[in-house]
Amino acid sequence: MTNHALDLNRRQFLSQMTTGFTGVALAHLLGGETAGATGGRAPQYPGRAKQVLQIFCPGAASHLDLWDYKPELEKRDGEQLPGEEGFSSFQGVNGPLMRSPWPFRAAGASGKMISSMLPGMARHVDDIAFLHSMTSRTNTHGPGCIFMNSCFTREGFPAAGAWVSHALGSLNDNLPAFVAIQDVRGEPPNGKANWSNGFLPAQHQAVAMAAHQPLRNLALPEGVGLGEERDTRDFLALINGRHAERHPGEGELRARIQAYELAARMQLSAPRVADLSLEPAYCQEAYGTRDSNRLKAAYGRNCLFARRLLEQGVRYVSLYCASRASSVDGLLNWDAHRTLKADYERHCPVFDGPTAALLDDLKQRGMLDDVLVLWTTEFGRMPTRQASTQGRDHNPDAFTCWMMGAGVRGGVSYGNTDEFGRRSVEDVCSAYDFYATVMHLLGLDHQKVTYYHNGADRRLTDVHGHVIREVLS
Amino acid sequence: MPGASVICLIWLFSDGFDWARVGAMNHAKYWFRYLCSCLAGLILLDVAADGAAPEETEARRSDRDWWSLQVLSDVSLPDLPDAPPAWRSNPIDRYVIARLIAEGLEPNPPADRRALIRRIAYDLTGLPPTPEEVAAFVHDSDARAYEKLVDRLLSSPHYGERWGRHWLDVIRFGESRGFERNEIVRDAWPFRDYVIDSFNQDKPFDDFIVEHLAGDVIGRDRPDVEIGSAFMTIGPYDDVGNQDAVAAANTRAATVDDMVTATSGAFLGLTINCARCHDHKFDPIPTEDYYRLKAAFDGVSHGSRVLATRAEREHLDALKGPMLQKREALAKARSALEKEILDRSGAAASMDLGQRPPPSASRTEEQWVPVEARYVRMSVLSQSDNPGSGVGARMDEFEVWTGGDAPRNVALASGGAGVSGVAGAEAKDFDGAYSVELVNDGKYGARWFVGNPPVLTVTLPRIETIERAVFSHDRMTESNSPIAGLGPMVTEYEIEVSMDGVSWMKVADSTGRRPYNAALARRRALRTATGGEQVELDRLEMEIAAVDAGIRKMPALPTAWMGNYHQPDGPTRVFHGGDPMKPGAPVLPASLQVFQGGLDSYELPADAPEGERRLALARWIANDGNALTLRVLVNRVWHYHFGTGIVDTPSDFGFLGGRPTHPELLDWLAHRLLQHGWRLKDLHRDILLSQTYRQSSGFRAEAAQKDADSRLLWRFPSRRLSAEEARDTLLAVAGKLDKRQGGPGFRLYEYKQDNVATYVPLDRPGPETYRRAVYHHNARASVVDILSDLDLPDNAFAAPHRASTTTPLQTLTLLNNRFVIDMAEGLCERVSASVPGSPEESVRRAYSLAFQREPEDVEVMAGATLITTHGLRAFCRAVLNANELIYLE
Repeated sequence: MTNHALDLNRRQFLSQMTTGFTGVALAHLLGGETAGATGGRAPQYPGRAKQVLQIFCPGAASHLDLWDYKPELEKRDGEQLPGEEGFSSFQGVNGPLMRSPWPFRAAGASGKMISSMLPGMARHVDDIAFLHSMTSRTNTHGPGCIFMNSCFTREGFPAAGAWVSHALGSLNDNLPAFVAIQDVRGEPPNGKANWSNGFLPAQHQAVAMAAHQPLRNLALPEGVGLGEERDTRDFLALINGRHAERHPGEGELRARIQAYELAARMQLSAPRVADLSLEPAYCQEAYGTRDSNRLKAAYGRNCLFARRLLEQGVRYVSLYCASRASSVDGLLNWDAHRTLKADYERHCPVFDGPTAALLDDLKQRGMLDDVLVLWTTEFGRMPTRQASTQGRDHNPDAFTCWMMGAGVRGGVSYGNTDEFGRRSVEDVCSAYDFYATVMHLLGLDHQKVTYYHNGADRRLTDVHGHVIREVLS
Repeated sequence: MPGASVICLIWLFSDGFDWARVGAMNHAKYWFRYLCSCLAGLILLDVAADGAAPEETEARRSDRDWWSLQVLSDVSLPDLPDAPPAWRSNPIDRYVIARLIAEGLEPNPPADRRALIRRIAYDLTGLPPTPEEVAAFVHDSDARAYEKLVDRLLSSPHYGERWGRHWLDVIRFGESRGFERNEIVRDAWPFRDYVIDSFNQDKPFDDFIVEHLAGDVIGRDRPDVEIGSAFMTIGPYDDVGNQDAVAAANTRAATVDDMVTATSGAFLGLTINCARCHDHKFDPIPTEDYYRLKAAFDGVSHGSRVLATRAEREHLDALKGPMLQKREALAKARSALEKEILDRSGAAASMDLGQRPPPSASRTEEQWVPVEARYVRMSVLSQSDNPGSGVGARMDEFEVWTGGDAPRNVALASGGAGVSGVAGAEAKDFDGAYSVELVNDGKYGARWFVGNPPVLTVTLPRIETIERAVFSHDRMTESNSPIAGLGPMVTEYEIEVSMDGVSWMKVADSTGRRPYNAALARRRALRTATGGEQVELDRLEMEIAAVDAGIRKMPALPTAWMGNYHQPDGPTRVFHGGDPMKPGAPVLPASLQVFQGGLDSYELPADAPEGERRLALARWIANDGNALTLRVLVNRVWHYHFGTGIVDTPSDFGFLGGRPTHPELLDWLAHRLLQHGWRLKDLHRDILLSQTYRQSSGFRAEAAQKDADSRLLWRFPSRRLSAEEARDTLLAVAGKLDKRQGGPGFRLYEYKQDNVATYVPLDRPGPETYRRAVYHHNARASVVDILSDLDLPDNAFAAPHRASTTTPLQTLTLLNNRFVIDMAEGLCERVSASVPGSPEESVRRAYSLAFQREPEDVEVMAGATLITTHGLRAFCRAVLNANELIYLE
């Protein structure tokens, strides 16, 4: 089928765009090929990272039981927290200090102390920059998760991945720029708001897919064969082409014709990237994709899927390990209010092996030259036990996140909490600084990536944020 | 060198400097930066001194002389000797053509009638015209054909569905609570219906505004007015119930902020919320103004309330009264009889009804004479919160032990044992969350929620000689009773064993144990009733149950999600930095101080009743003298007719917002709205009858060079259909659209609630969802097919302007989603029902239904070939994906 309207090459086509928006949308669809053509697709300055993998452990994974070693807390187990005896937090009154149920051990050349529940992660401490002095603006899971993803505690703002998609676009025409891989146990607190485009155009929202959840509406409808699909699409291209010819100057019509072509390519590429059976047995073994612990196996498959997406050039992958708050804590996420020991003896093995394997794999393939790895959670936990329980309540005043990979200095511990881990006290930082740093590593000035919405030029870091230079390599 | 210091301070701040950090940062580093920047400043000043004097800088913010805050101007119509005659009569055209001429542009010729009827039908009703309607209009020789069409569509009941939906965007209407729990709100729909009805009735908009803020005050005993005040609480809020006092205060401040933001944005086009923490950085709004406005909402909270007339309430009370009296009498008789039994047995006060200790949350053990068994069964008879039933108990582990020197737990799944039992709760999105498998996984912590029947059955991998069972609610606790929040534990039970799973033998039970708590002791004591007493107790139970059932069956008064009101405790105070922990000076409930005349201000005493505060604010906003309200409203109307407003930021008329392209036209429209008594339909008519609206959307490259977006309206701006229009169109073209109006909405997701809510899109929505999309139950943070793909906004915020994006995911949905295939099949039925003839005829008929036009020859040929090769459905699927279906000229 020949059609003049469709014979334009892409660059001519872009120059004919009549509305700014369509131009941007299309440039996004066309990805790297048009980088620079419409502005905003190339970084603002040369960045160290091209892609981001963000691992998110929802439920407020305890800094005190995973990453932040507090010898004083071990010593003074059972004593009252000095100055804050019996204080109230999210779920009510707190009891005495409670040591971590497991010992910490020195790991790596840096001798970093890390919980003995994370033997796999212990292998990677020399490559990790720990941020031990994180703080949050909220003590509630849902707002906390979206704060850690979007720097705002209420829904409706774009997630960091959406901002990065907006600023840099995609590296692959045939896959979305931003993918959210949710846990087999369900959505994180506040659900889809965690990967929302907010007020940014719809193409910047994360596409939700996982090893257990194929891309929605990707498969051909029941009873439609490949031949019918081809002929239907050809007919559609014909009538859309005639229609566009009758409406010269309407760039949006042509953009939509292109979108159908891109969708067809996506239909070929997405199932391939999701097909984990293409991976060799040793790889499946390392990630634990067939582990008898079904939660670990499911998370391991998602780790492997994340690597395959990154290999194919997906710009931003959010990978969740655990989900929302259930009627009781324990099984679904890291929210250990009452039975910390039992809960984390479930969660740590699920998280540790597959995550460590994924990091090994990225390293061996040289992907950490381009991929920035982030580990985040919404806030920390109290050094005290929640009154008459064996667990810890929410603590927005102190928690740990970390970074690794492209542009990150390994073996660094930035910031500090007090001797019990109750509050961040040294080099205090927050999601604003965290993402200012992430943007910087991507070659973006976090103050200059903006979007007008309801009366303000909005940006990812609101009106805050400092690049944490101490963690840059 | 003061100039240099200023520059370096600016430089410091330009990095997002904030004082809170200073304490935490290395001071020396900042001083070093300061000194460096002073030096740099000196150099820069020298450079500036060498060059020309810097130009006077443009204003960086608006002041009280800002254009939108002034009284409406006395507009005069421009003189237009050069304008085309058709453009000289309607004042709207005169303003538009004057600007076009000034820019060297000329307008397009009138649109053809097919394009025009499609444009206006969607514009006013959101629905496509039928082929018959198009044909009738195209062939109508009446000189007033178009006027008749305008009037017909304005009086269509679908007008309110379309324009009401616009308004719902503006006021962040959503039907779930938002935030973490995001529970669905089942009774928000009466407000949605109220909005639609108000548009259909052409209710004066000033009344509509007053009802939004004080419907409950002016509309006592008038549900159709009272419901309007749901506006205030139809936004998202955080209901998680924070026990931290600071966090709870912040949550409440954010909840009220949503009301302030929604009010100022929707009616005034002001971003007053920017003044919550400090004076507005760009507009003349001091932070006190924010709190003056906030004072109106300090007594408003979210929730449902009965929505009924007094007569309805009294009627129901009269019906219920006798039944409630009867129930009370029966309950009294029951307690008297129970007391008699308990007094006699003397056992109620005593816990000493057994020799063995009561069950423990951390560990309960039963032992019996060793027995061979393949199956072990535990029936739970009561739990710590309910002495009458075991349902709802929770158990983290259940073990079955062999005897001897090396006892083994043979119930473990890892050893091959199986368990069965009903789960009393379901997470839905993750089926294992509360399942019985948790009792033999060898791990403590997560619990089986005992369901109904409350029976656990363990199947051992082989026949074993067993002699003990151990079970627990929370093995790792040291306490005998459950930790608060972990739910109840098993308190009475029986354990049986079996070789074949058919005949059972009891090996242990809880009868020898002391009762776990007083309720259970009482329950046991009641079992000492005589035969006669038991009969009487049973009779009373039955009668009470019957009365309760009768009461439940009575029609409940309708409720609506329209909030609750209480008088605030003290005066409203400014929160420094927006922080409720830093209250400052009190402010009075009062109007904003931004206007330059034309409007009386108000100020109420600090203890003014909260309803009066809202009413005063409402009357000040909806005042004939409030030019801003009028400008914002007419601009919204313009925005929805032309795709872009005269001001292109419909909820922001401040410094960061757009400037009007046609300021006199905006004021003329505002005057006009006043003349129409705030009724929108007359204003629509003014606009729709203009040549500006009726011109074609044809593209002209030379005009586009000057005004690519047609902001000056040299052509009618073409557009893609909105999400709702697109879905409604698929249904209408397929002949499946269910046009029933009002009532509870339909859902395109499955609602799952387990502490928090999850909305899972339906794979195949059925005919119950074939209503207009405005009736979709729009929960927040839900993503559904088609609507979300086509830019249905996230209703966390007001969406005064919708995006219109093009993405490959949209096309995947429209090609492959089962709903679209169902619609393609619907179109097939319609086509084949009316034309049983050739493929060519089918193409013509489908084109008529979908596009209301004749196909071109090449389209007939290609379409017929597709039908012949792959059947009619393939062709219909393509038609429903065509650009022509969802783009308007």
